[in-house]
Amino acid sequence: MDKLGINGSFLLVQIVNLIIVYVVVSKWIVSPIMGMLEKRRQTIANGLEDARVAADARANAEKDAQKIIADAQAKASQVVRESTERAESAARDVKASMDAEALKAHEKAMAGIEEDRNRILGDLRGQVAALAISATQKLVGETLDEKRQRVLIDEFFSGVKSGKIVMLDEATLSGSSAQVTSALPLTEGEMKTIKSEVLAKSGAQAVDFHVDPSILGGLVIKVGDKVLDGSVSGKLEGLRSNLR
Amino acid sequence: MDVEAAKILGKLIGAGLAMIGAIGAGAGIGIVASGAVQAMGRNPDATGTVQTNMILGIAFAEAVAIYCLVVALLILFVF
Amino acid sequence: MTETPKPKVWGRWVVLAAFVLGIALFTGLKINVAMPEVVLPPEALTTPIQTPLGPFFISGTLVALLFADIIIFLLAFGINSAIKKGNLILTGIVGAVEALLEMLHGMTEGTAGKWTKAIFPWFATITLLVMVANWTELIPGVETIGMIEEKAGSSYVVQMVGGIKSLAKVAEGAGNVTLIPYVRVVSTDLNFTVALALVAVFMVQVFGVRSQGRAYFTKFWNTGGVFSKPIFGVIDFGVGLLEIVSEFSKVLSFAFRLFGNIFAGSVLLFVIGSLVPVFAQSIFYLLEFFVGAIQAFVFGLLAMTFMAQATQGHGGEHHEEAHA
Repeated sequence: MDKLGINGSFLLVQIVNLIIVYVVVSKWIVSPIMGMLEKRRQTIANGLEDARVAADARANAEKDAQKIIADAQAKASQVVRESTERAESAARDVKASMDAEALKAHEKAMAGIEEDRNRILGDLRGQVAALAISATQKLVGETLDEKRQRVLIDEFFSGVKSGKIVMLDEATLSGSSAQVTSALPLTEGEMKTIKSEVLAKSGAQAVDFHVDPSILGGLVIKVGDKVLDGSVSGKLEGLRSNLR
Repeated sequence: MDVEAAKILGKLIGAGLAMIGAIGAGAGIGIVASGAVQAMGRNPDATGTVQTNMILGIAFAEAVAIYCLVVALLILFVF
Repeated sequence: MTETPKPKVWGRWVVLAAFVLGIALFTGLKINVAMPEVVLPPEALTTPIQTPLGPFFISGTLVALLFADIIIFLLAFGINSAIKKGNLILTGIVGAVEALLEMLHGMTEGTAGKWTKAIFPWFATITLLVMVANWTELIPGVETIGMIEEKAGSSYVVQMVGGIKSLAKVAEGAGNVTLIPYVRVVSTDLNFTVALALVAVFMVQVFGVRSQGRAYFTKFWNTGGVFSKPIFGVIDFGVGLLEIVSEFSKVLSFAFRLFGNIFAGSVLLFVIGSLVPVFAQSIFYLLEFFVGAIQAFVFGLLAMTFMAQATQGHGGEHHEEAHA
């Protein structure tokens, strides 16, 4: 030990010195520095906390602002939409009423025209019958009395003989609406007869009467998708195809 | 050659031979450092831990060399 | 804005001048550079006083220790006054010390956990003291300026260099004087390193007892399993005895690691100085600077780690056994 220089008194001096240095270092170096580090950490933490609070506040403000803007936008778009709708509905109403009026006027005009034509054709009927009777008298002599002749002619035009529609005897009809076309306007009695007959036979709810001089005589009855051709022009056509 | 001179010669040779043991410590420290550097290269985030453990490992490897040194010093100065 | 002045580069001229001066001195004046004698024990500067523990005298190492203490006290004073001013950011040397301690504190926290507060002052004390002590080696004149004492049978004689007494080496045993340096690095004194190691290892035991109480000593005297587990119990007992040996080897390796590194460093410095008188030593000064810092750090780190290990100990295992 001596030769290595290890010596009790020196060892003691060194240990005492080390303890003194330990006290000095731990008291005047370590603890102030640790305190300062702690303080610094706290300062930084406080700073961070403050920054976080500020950031939160800013975020809240931004959120509020965004909410306000969104509300305003929603309100504005609602106003625009409502006004647009109102304008559109007003325009639609105007257009619809105008359309309806135009349609009504058109229908009125059409009905007037139809009525006029029917009246004119009705007036013609008497004259046509008279002409036909006189022509027949000239051809066949005076064999038939006038009353009998008129009934025959009426039957010819209306296709209604002694309260019955001749051509309906064998036919079966079904449908919701019926359309009856005659060459000349029918009398009220004839219309009634036809209506009751057709309705009884087919079960249709309503009967429309049309006038079409081109069929010459008789009736064309259309129920649903079926057409019964009892017209003179139809018969002539059948005759022509048979003769050929 | 007298006895004193032979004693000095023997001491010098013995101390030199004793320090051969430092070879192992040197190699060991080299291995530790190389492993630590590789670890730090692969995972730079773990540098602090690796450094601490590297220094510990080096210290333990170095202990062998220190025993050699002690023996050499004892031979040279004490006997 | 004024143009920033060019940084002064006079430092390199000083280096060159020193270089030239050194070469001129050692070639022109024909100075014979002698390598100082390598001695292990601290040399006496005063006549020894006998004490019950052994002879006591003022040695170069004690002077160096005083230097180191003064530097540490100055540091403590500086840090204290700087912090009292309320600065949260320290600058200069004080700031460097603070950065070092902060790093060491981080390491301690990672290793010692809740014992950081108790262990860290030791880590800081050992590291700071050893670092300052090691770096006194770098002051020019340390270990080279001293008393010339008469000693028969040495290998030095006195020569005069420009009015300054200096030593010249002659044949072994032909000289009559020897140099006793006024300041010798305290880490090259085994008393210092052994004292540090003893205190460190003693504190390891203290921390072990403080954390685990009497259970800490079962680490060394583990008779718990000798009879219940015939073979492994005996092995555990043997391991416990080995732990005692390892505590002593800790003292030895602590003391001699520091001593060996710094002693070898100072021998290296004057061997290089006597071989190449100019410039070469400067490079080794750099090396010694690092070795001094690293050895201080390693000493502190190892002490801290051993203390932390002692606080953890075998507590977990005993706990499990108690429940099993």
